[in-house]
Amino acid sequence: MTINRREFMKATALGVAALSLPSLASRAAAASGPLIFAAAGTVTSSWDPTSHTVAPQITAEGFLFGHLTKCPMSEANPGEILPDLATEWSVIDEHTLEYKLRQGVTFHDGKPFTAADVKATYEYASNPDRPASAWYPGRVDVEVIDDHTVRLNTRQYGYPALNFWYVSSFLPILSAADVANPETLKQRPNGTGPFKYVETVGDQIKFAAFDDFHEGKPTIEEIVWAYVPDANTRVLGLLNGQYHLTERLEPEQYLSLQKEASLKTDRSLSSENKYLHFRCNKPPFDDPRIRLAVCHAIDRSQVLAVVGEAGQASNCHISPVKFGFTDVKGYPEYDPEKTQALLAEAGFPNGEGLPEIEYITSVGFYPKTREYGELITAMLQEQGFPVKLTTLEPAAWEEQLYRRADGQGPGHIIDVGWITGSPEPDLVLRPNYHSQFALINGISDPQIDASLDKERGATSTEERLKILQEETLPLIAEKAPSISLFSSVFLRAMSARLDGVTFYPNGPIDLSKATLS
Amino acid sequence: MAFALEFFLRRISQGVLIVLAVAFVIFTLLRIAPGDPIRIILGPMATPSAMEETAERLGLRDPIPVQFLRYLGDIARGDFGNSFIRGKQGGTTGGSQDAAGAPPVERAAVIELIARALPYTLLLAACGFLLACLVSIPLGILAGVRNSGWPQKVALYLSSFFVSLPNVWVGIVLIYLLSARTGWLPAIGYQHIGYVVIPAIVVAVELAPVMIRSISVAVATNVQDPFYEIGQVRGLSARIMLFRHVLRNAAVPLLNSFGAQMIGMLLGGLFVVEYIFSFPGIGLLTINAVFQRDFPVIQTVAIFASTVLVFINIAVDFASTTIDRRLKF
Repeated sequence: MTINRREFMKATALGVAALSLPSLASRAAAASGPLIFAAAGTVTSSWDPTSHTVAPQITAEGFLFGHLTKCPMSEANPGEILPDLATEWSVIDEHTLEYKLRQGVTFHDGKPFTAADVKATYEYASNPDRPASAWYPGRVDVEVIDDHTVRLNTRQYGYPALNFWYVSSFLPILSAADVANPETLKQRPNGTGPFKYVETVGDQIKFAAFDDFHEGKPTIEEIVWAYVPDANTRVLGLLNGQYHLTERLEPEQYLSLQKEASLKTDRSLSSENKYLHFRCNKPPFDDPRIRLAVCHAIDRSQVLAVVGEAGQASNCHISPVKFGFTDVKGYPEYDPEKTQALLAEAGFPNGEGLPEIEYITSVGFYPKTREYGELITAMLQEQGFPVKLTTLEPAAWEEQLYRRADGQGPGHIIDVGWITGSPEPDLVLRPNYHSQFALINGISDPQIDASLDKERGATSTEERLKILQEETLPLIAEKAPSISLFSSVFLRAMSARLDGVTFYPNGPIDLSKATLS
Repeated sequence: MAFALEFFLRRISQGVLIVLAVAFVIFTLLRIAPGDPIRIILGPMATPSAMEETAERLGLRDPIPVQFLRYLGDIARGDFGNSFIRGKQGGTTGGSQDAAGAPPVERAAVIELIARALPYTLLLAACGFLLACLVSIPLGILAGVRNSGWPQKVALYLSSFFVSLPNVWVGIVLIYLLSARTGWLPAIGYQHIGYVVIPAIVVAVELAPVMIRSISVAVATNVQDPFYEIGQVRGLSARIMLFRHVLRNAAVPLLNSFGAQMIGMLLGGLFVVEYIFSFPGIGLLTINAVFQRDFPVIQTVAIFASTVLVFINIAVDFASTTIDRRLKF
């Protein structure tokens, strides 16, 4: 094959033009002022909110979908509920909740929002066949009273409707027409939220302001969700002005960005706690005394010193922004004497005779896990525990995290965080501590099960709060299927030109009132 | 002609065996290393039954030799498979726990992902190599010709300095200085040719030390040979001796060095640089694929990279033999 000079020049010109095309497109986009969000994660292959439990997609859904209610999940008032697509809500009886719906709301495809959409969404999402049904307390029937009134009814399924009280702020409302056609639901999101989906180009997702958003069209015309896995790249992109907002900063990055005049930082308590789960269905952690001995050997104040800005002290198995949080009395504190007493009582004085204990942690996903993993390993070794620390990158760690089909999980202690998007405490407690699930630790304790069932069966929020704070959470602390090390704090940074942003403790970002000057 | 035919037949058949061996090693290592792609495809809380169903559908529960033979059969038909993680639009889309929600037909074809990323990588590689040549060729020749003077010292100190700089660090520092602090250049991602400048400097800093040393040593060796002085005694100028004889003789070791070492370095360097700069080339695609256990992408890139290396080596050896007929490869 031969090529002459003219052909070569032509081919070169075409190549250069091809490489320049994205440049022109992006410059045009930049001129209209999109907000570029450098995200640490990205969405799944399905836009159906009931098909996943993935945190970054829940953040993306925050731009797109409305919910019946909103829960700001503040530390001062974790149980606060505000109106969203519902304007009023009330308890009719033990098994019935009533919601009055907002009028004049439309979906992104132009269809009006009515009670039929709520019925379709709730009955579809609570179906146990849906992958994300674990978020919801169980099946629910929805009765349409009129176009703008619905009743959630759980009588047929034998648990109080109050279990949906906080979940109503978490379940995205779908269009009934989409629910009837799951293929459409999967292909593109269609909500009532402030932004609508435009397209996905490579690792970028584009959203545009929704003209008919019921709270008024957002000022920011376009959001570009740029998936940037490397934390340093996200920060450097923010510093050079290519990005306007980023998340999941390392504590050191957060501190150094605070000094930048062109940037603002945000530090807010999340709904995530960081845990060490013990594999309770195999030795030595099938003995609660050994679990407690480990808890008393860990000086959590030193762990927090390592975690720095990314953590906040808490003595409870749920975050302070969750309904039911309390500073649990008798939560295991650092006490080496107690550790030694418990080890001796269990037949392992000074740790002699204990099998090798594998402590599995990840690096590159949560802040400082390797560093405090080494610290905790040293603390446990000091008390005589023969601990071996295994540090894995996220994909390998995630494979080790959950119990397998045979009920056993690898290693003996594993580090993990648990984040959920509602004040509802059962989203943390039941999957982790009820023997029906016990996804990570494999605990099977009739007393814990009974206490979890009791708080779930409470018929008023006051009664439930009392059971949670006085019985369930102290019992979990006493049995120690895991130890909650601290509550996570989310560290973010943004352009100083960006105002009016609200961050939710589970990740979603409300940009509906934000401005980028 | 007969020599060339015999050379290419022999070397290409050897090359195919090498590529097959590399493919098998990568294929096997991916499957025995910790990190189950099904967890990433379906998400952390997927049920064991959904995981098994998906794994069986993707053929991941068959014995490794069976999977490998099936894979080779697909490649022979030109099918490099579909990504486990990336959707048709090229975006990362792991984590859906709906086993029925992630059919392979809705995933991007690996060959399309590579075709989309390759022009960016070639552009970055070409710019990095060009920058490295601009510094290394004059400095290397000067240092080789005057190998006891200041050019030799400059070449030595500069290459020692460059070689001691990790490319990750150089990348971050250059973005910070040239983009974040001064705003002179863009840095993250790719929107126009300006986005290539800083990453190309990082690639050049990595390549330059080896190029400077190779060129200066090859030139110095020839300059110290008797033919160099004899040529000048016979009336040829130093310039003619250098450009017509010294550089030609130096070409064989340089070709070997550039072929075997430089391309390997370039490939490795590009992977890291593209990741730091979020530059949408093959390197970024591959590193993300490793984190996400996207087996089809990793396998195809490995085969692609080993094929490129094998063929460059064949071309270099052929060129060397053509330059110096005494050499036999």
